[in-house]
Amino acid sequence: MARMKFLCDADRCIECNACVTACKNENEVPWGINRRRVVTLNDGKPGERSVSMACMHCTDAPCAAVCPVSCILSTDEGVVLHSKDLCIGCGYCFYACPFGAPQYPQLGNFGSRGKMDKCTYCAGGGGTEVPGSIEEYRKYGANRLLEGKLPLCAEMCSTKSLLAGDSEIIAQIYKERVLTRGYGSGAWGWRTAYRESIAI
Amino acid sequence: MLIKREQVERRRGSLAGALPGSTSGGLDRRSFLRRSGLAAGGLAALGTFSPGMLRTTQAGPPPTPGVPVERRKNICTHCSVGCTVTAEVQNGVWIGQEPSWDSPINRGSHCSKGASVRELVHGDRRVKYPMKLVDGNWTRISWDMAIDEIGNTLAAIREKSGPDSVYWLGSTKFSNEAGYLFRKFVAFWGTNNVDCQARICHSTTVAGVANTWGYGAMTNSFNDIRRSKTLLIMGGNPAEAHPVSLQHLLEGKELNRANFIVIDPRMTRTAAHANDYVRIRPGTDIAAIWGMLWHIFQNGWEDKEFISQRVYGMDETRKEVAKWTPDEVERVTGIPGEQLRRVAEKFAKDRPSTLIWAMGQTQHTVGTANVRASCTLLLATGNVGGFGNGANIFRGHDNVQGTTDLGLDVTSLPLYYGLDEGAWRHWCRVWGVDYAWVQSRFASKQLMEAPGIAAPRWFDATMLAKSSIGQSDNLRAMMVFGHNGNTITRMPEAVKGIEALELLVIVDTVPTNWSSVSQRKNGTYLLPCGTQFESSGSRTNSNRALQWYDQVVQPIFESKEDQEIVYLFAKKLGVADQLCKNIAVETNRPLPEDLLREINRGGWSTGYSGQSPERLKRQRDHQGDFDLVSLRAKDGPCAGEYYGLPWPCWGTPDLNHPGTAILYNNHLHVKDGGGAFRARFGVERNGATLLAEGSYPLGSDIKDGYPEFTMAVLKKLGWDSELTTPEMTVIREVGGNNIDAVSWSTDLSGGIQRVALAHGCIPYGNAKARAVAWNLPDPVPVHREPIYTPRPDLVAKYPTLPDATQLRVPNIGFTVQKAAVDQKVANRFPLILTSGRLVDYEGGGDETRANIWLAELRQDMFVEISPADAQARGISNGSWVWVTGAENSSKARVKALVTERVGKGVAFMPFHFSGWFQGVDQRDRFPQGIDPYVLGEAVNSITTYGYDPVTNMPESKVTLCQITAI
Amino acid sequence: MSALSTRLRHALGTLVLLGIIASAVPASAQQAAPPPPAQSSQSSPLIDPDALAVNEQTLLGDFSRVEGSILIPNTRERVLIQPAGRLWDYFHEVLLRPIALIVIFGMVALLAIAYLAMGRLRISAGRSGKRMQRFSAFERFSHWLTATSFIVLALTGLNITFGKVALRPLIGPDAFSTVSQYAKYIHNYVSFAFVAGLVLIAAMWMKQNIPRKMDITWLKEGGGLIGSKHPTAGRFNAGQKMIFWFVVGAGAAAAISGYLLIFPFYVTNIAGMQVAQVVHSLLAAAFVAVILAHIYIGTLGMEGAFEAMGTGSVDFNWAKQHHRAWVEEEVAKGHLPQPTLSATPAE
Repeated sequence: MARMKFLCDADRCIECNACVTACKNENEVPWGINRRRVVTLNDGKPGERSVSMACMHCTDAPCAAVCPVSCILSTDEGVVLHSKDLCIGCGYCFYACPFGAPQYPQLGNFGSRGKMDKCTYCAGGGGTEVPGSIEEYRKYGANRLLEGKLPLCAEMCSTKSLLAGDSEIIAQIYKERVLTRGYGSGAWGWRTAYRESIAI
Repeated sequence: MLIKREQVERRRGSLAGALPGSTSGGLDRRSFLRRSGLAAGGLAALGTFSPGMLRTTQAGPPPTPGVPVERRKNICTHCSVGCTVTAEVQNGVWIGQEPSWDSPINRGSHCSKGASVRELVHGDRRVKYPMKLVDGNWTRISWDMAIDEIGNTLAAIREKSGPDSVYWLGSTKFSNEAGYLFRKFVAFWGTNNVDCQARICHSTTVAGVANTWGYGAMTNSFNDIRRSKTLLIMGGNPAEAHPVSLQHLLEGKELNRANFIVIDPRMTRTAAHANDYVRIRPGTDIAAIWGMLWHIFQNGWEDKEFISQRVYGMDETRKEVAKWTPDEVERVTGIPGEQLRRVAEKFAKDRPSTLIWAMGQTQHTVGTANVRASCTLLLATGNVGGFGNGANIFRGHDNVQGTTDLGLDVTSLPLYYGLDEGAWRHWCRVWGVDYAWVQSRFASKQLMEAPGIAAPRWFDATMLAKSSIGQSDNLRAMMVFGHNGNTITRMPEAVKGIEALELLVIVDTVPTNWSSVSQRKNGTYLLPCGTQFESSGSRTNSNRALQWYDQVVQPIFESKEDQEIVYLFAKKLGVADQLCKNIAVETNRPLPEDLLREINRGGWSTGYSGQSPERLKRQRDHQGDFDLVSLRAKDGPCAGEYYGLPWPCWGTPDLNHPGTAILYNNHLHVKDGGGAFRARFGVERNGATLLAEGSYPLGSDIKDGYPEFTMAVLKKLGWDSELTTPEMTVIREVGGNNIDAVSWSTDLSGGIQRVALAHGCIPYGNAKARAVAWNLPDPVPVHREPIYTPRPDLVAKYPTLPDATQLRVPNIGFTVQKAAVDQKVANRFPLILTSGRLVDYEGGGDETRANIWLAELRQDMFVEISPADAQARGISNGSWVWVTGAENSSKARVKALVTERVGKGVAFMPFHFSGWFQGVDQRDRFPQGIDPYVLGEAVNSITTYGYDPVTNMPESKVTLCQITAI
Repeated sequence: MSALSTRLRHALGTLVLLGIIASAVPASAQQAAPPPPAQSSQSSPLIDPDALAVNEQTLLGDFSRVEGSILIPNTRERVLIQPAGRLWDYFHEVLLRPIALIVIFGMVALLAIAYLAMGRLRISAGRSGKRMQRFSAFERFSHWLTATSFIVLALTGLNITFGKVALRPLIGPDAFSTVSQYAKYIHNYVSFAFVAGLVLIAAMWMKQNIPRKMDITWLKEGGGLIGSKHPTAGRFNAGQKMIFWFVVGAGAAAAISGYLLIFPFYVTNIAGMQVAQVVHSLLAAAFVAVILAHIYIGTLGMEGAFEAMGTGSVDFNWAKQHHRAWVEEEVAKGHLPQPTLSATPAE
């Protein structure tokens, strides 16, 4: 079975934020929740690179390990999903996440967190809702994987910088790109998320 | 209630099993690879992707079960790349966007704007119904009342001050059809005061490029850049302004290991991906280009054969270039000689080379000259009219090319026919109306043939003394369709102009800053129009390709389509019957198909004649057949055609011309989209021929240069006998008693074009491009310092052009520059202020700042300032600062962004913001509930005087400012 | 072999803690990036952004995390990669539970040994029948406010760490989430009561808990366990003072680290929050252990001790035995022991 991953080719990323608005559009994500974001390093200087980041759907996902109520789990495709019915909004997944993926709607007048929200790889949610149902959509967003589609952020990436799909295929795509053009700043986050990098 | 977690886990683990038949009809390997962001290529050896739990269904957000989901193709409304937008619609509601894999332009991709266009239709900050200001309060009115009241006021102004006192400011967001209808309607109103954003965008490009080699447009295409070995981007930031184009640029760069060079005052997001970045002082492009040419001529790197065959006047240019030694170039531009030499060498030697530009070259007092210098560089190195080279001019809005072509321009009727009597008679024949009647609508024949007032000068025309304006009275009314006021320089004066108007009508999807910036109390109307997603028609992208788009949803709230609004005004003003004589109208909506057919019947000059709605719709349905690089369909019903039938698409639609993907390309037969430089400026000058010598399109019967085709030329060649009887009948009708004068551009039968093409000849002639444009103020471009320059010491040597009257109003740039130098303005305002685009917003920005998904990304107006300048002023990153301007005691309260992106002495502000003015938040002036989410100061409240002498393009790229900490 | 690997892991765990703490002082990639500033373009005309491209490995080699800039105003989103998350995960999932178990059950074991070895400490002179007022009603209120809120905090806190292994299998995921959800709210809100009690206790007793000379003797004699005679003590003996200072100090630290977590990003960044959570959880374990001992001494371990906080008064003999100096001070002030109402008058 395919192992789904994200790969951001920073040498292609132009910080256009299409991934961000595509995510908002597809999943009707409210203001203040950033399932995906683009971080720019060395902003304004030679060597500037931007990286689009969301939940990387880690191998041995630390968020899942630390969750005090075990509401996070990995699917057979390696997609890390969670159940908002079980989540208690404690914030532990945020401390553990190497990529700042978990988001919390702010409830109440002090920092009390609501149910955690994060990138679902456009694969619905980890609750009991029927996959692809309107109930699942309202709680978690789209279930594109079920329809044979990949996350919209990657599908709509303006420069094909953000890749999603079977890890072997996207690693191969990246490898070929680097060989063709002769440079590559690396598969950002792969070492931390998947404990591997792409050998060129 | 208590469901055991284990049950859930079990269900998830065996999800595939829970969906019978899930593996069949799933994602096949090819589409998987495509979705993974790849054209298959070398991956064939990879194992097959097993679809696992995948299943194919139709929608994004889950649709209501049992109700069909329709897919409709539209085009992104934002920039000119022309990305296809695929919308999923159910029950008349736009429920999702899907990637448009088949489009050879965007291949599924979007930028942040394109990926969020659904919100433009869904957003609740839209103008919902007609409104007018009553004693300072926005009051809801009906459409009938609005049209009636506005129509009566217009008629009264016409009676009192003449038709020229009403300004019709159109929009580059119009479809081709709506733009054409608007232009035609304004002709029937009786004025040439009609313009659009093209004026402040690429008017100087159009003037400069057309005066060099014939047509004022991008010569090649986004896709063709994939063939380039050197990409020089000078005065453009496509990573932010045209993000999807970067897909082609970066892939081209990678596949060819091409040189990717950026010359810009800012280390832009585009420059971040360059392999050579050159920092330049804003406003010194000509000096930099001549500096490159100095190296090229010095080392003999120029393409001598190309110059001798296809270029006129290069020797005169050499004389000017010789003055630009590396030392002088460095003194003026700040570019080290060694670096410029390297760039020049790469550009001249690693061919094909393309030069890409946008507003960085055009929005200057020397805009036209900048553009012409760029053209000269391309000509000298033989980099025009071939694969992978050319002037790749990235236009701004999604239909700025189309609306430019269709004459939303104070200097021309549709398709560059100009304003002389011949042009008017041509279009009257097409329209089927009497020339005398049209003339009677104008104040005089003289004003009918005199270019109107350029849009950036409208408020001068409102406030200057009557005697200094080239028409009978001042402007009294502004009819503003889809055009934001903050896009024009000198806003403090524009605000006074708005207040001086008798009537202000704003037709837009969002209120725009016209509605909020002034203290108007009455005489102001706000009419809701739909976005292009609520409309259908065709649009022309930057590479001249026409795409048909379908209505996604009906206009929401009380919005109406642009052409319906134009028609309603025409009806009220009594010209509707003439306006739509040959056009079907369904409940006040002129049919776009009929409008395009009329454009086809009259658009010979620019080859808008072959793109029938049927051909465009067929391409829309077979987008996937077109090649990524050549843009040509290999098979399928569109086989042989280029994507979008890029103009010129010669002859009638029946002729099946494939369109012209690359202009002036003599490596192809004209029937395959080949061409040559246009014979537009005569055949001879000062004893030297202006026609090409020994260069001609592939397979031409004439193996040399030739003038444009007329009946006289056909007769001389003996080819007139090939015209059919019906063609001859039409030619006789057009020509009357002088059929020899009937030309390829006035022959309504298309016969002359057909015969020329049959002989492998290009209808407009085969000439040389002009390095010397003797009809322009500087026939050979000359560096001239900006009006407000940080280098007053250079003004004596490089002064701006003398004062003159242009486009009905005086241009006193010289006086202003002299005063600025005399008063030592540069001492008080030591920083250069330049401006540009951001990726998240577009144009005036109100529409995008009212889009909640985009607004979240950029919540504050800012000014970029270098660390050195910030430190000297005690400014920290993220703090509030005042930016003060050199005119009108202008000031703006913005956040400081301290960054090395700008060099020392340069500050940068984005456009797109408005809603604050001179430090005051004007949110409460917007009609209630439809104020954009994000407001901020407009950069144009700081910008200053300065206009290009040819087109009156305002100088929004170089002025002076001071920045102080708050 | 497995013992060795356990020890290695524990050593590693120490490194983890150090690592997390070290990462609290990060540098953004921007601040210390290698490429030369713009001015140097004057001397070296070649600006090749491609060749200078930033690289994840270099950045992570130089700094503990990768941080850049972002368009949205939300500063927390500027952190791109923070591998410390994995370290924190390791601390929380691998180290914390054994440490907490050792600390808590270690204390329970010690107390059991003490009980078995010494039994209940009796009032050596027997009950006198006379009572001395030891704690006012307000003092007792403050103590019990702190005590009850602490117990609630301890239980709800233990649930976060141990619930999913101890409770969840028993009651199922949904019920456990519901319980934990309420537990979280209770934990967050009861913390204010705990802090209020803590403030009262500190204000009331701080002065009397300043160490005195006799405390040294008391400690030397192990509070009477070493040697035959019972050392003297003021109102609070050295043991109680140690408890007091532990409660005030650790309570304040637990409160501060807890509020850093309740108000995320108000004060600290992600690294600070990780450290705060580590501090909070380790302190909590120690706190529970210490309070267990406190409860033991106050109830099962010593005859006559509970009455002090229960009724406010103690037996005169108990007071003389444990707090002779205090009794002398009280008597000198004229606060004489009162006969119990129910007891037969001595005369």
